[in-house]
Amino acid sequence: MSRHTHGLRTWLLQRISAVYLAVFLCYVLFHALRHGAHSYTEWQAWLTSPLMNIATAGFILALVAHAWVGMRDVILDYIKPVGLRLALLSLTAVLLAGSSLWALRSLLLASVTAA
Amino acid sequence: MSNPQQPPVFLNLFRIRFPTGAIASIAHRISGVLLFLSLPYLAWLLNLSLQGPEGYTAAVAHLQPLWLRLASALLVWSLLHHLLAGLRFLLIDIHIGVDLPTARLTARAATLAAIVLTLLYTWWVL
Repeated sequence: MSRHTHGLRTWLLQRISAVYLAVFLCYVLFHALRHGAHSYTEWQAWLTSPLMNIATAGFILALVAHAWVGMRDVILDYIKPVGLRLALLSLTAVLLAGSSLWALRSLLLASVTAA
Repeated sequence: MSNPQQPPVFLNLFRIRFPTGAIASIAHRISGVLLFLSLPYLAWLLNLSLQGPEGYTAAVAHLQPLWLRLASALLVWSLLHHLLAGLRFLLIDIHIGVDLPTARLTARAATLAAIVLTLLYTWWVL
């Protein structure tokens, strides 16, 4: 995509991921209030059911995109020195990649043990 | 001289006077950053809760101390405010509620609703 539309693309990514995150969170909240997860068996069964497992993995990926664009915007707005900017952007990337991979790994391992 | 390619930016937080819309907006940013900072902790908690029945029990036990339940209220507020104010921004993006009276009303509604729901949550977990 050309440099002209690059800003539009991230803007759109931010909005599309926001909609997915909101819908998923509302569903999770609704489910938690109605059923709850009162034991490991229930919790694991819920998270490893095929649809919920994929939807949760999608949630983690959407969260990475959303948080990255958001944190990038905040850092670029308030942090002017180039070195500090780069350091904070890198830290953000590391923290996001680390957390999301860790969560995805837990999710995957839980499915493997369940199978 | 100002560069026409660059948007004008005035971000000195101590000199800006905050109308309702600005409060909802800056709180949206602050809550977003707080949620981002909580991600490693949440990943850790998810991982722990999926480490068999012992891990699940440990995760539940971990959430029991009073200070932690109070601290979780900050995260709940962040999530609620970010969700509600974010929903408002999405609607404004598609030209719903753009006029000033409506925009002010929805900004106040989102900010207040997040606080009220957080207080309800706090009361519920205490």
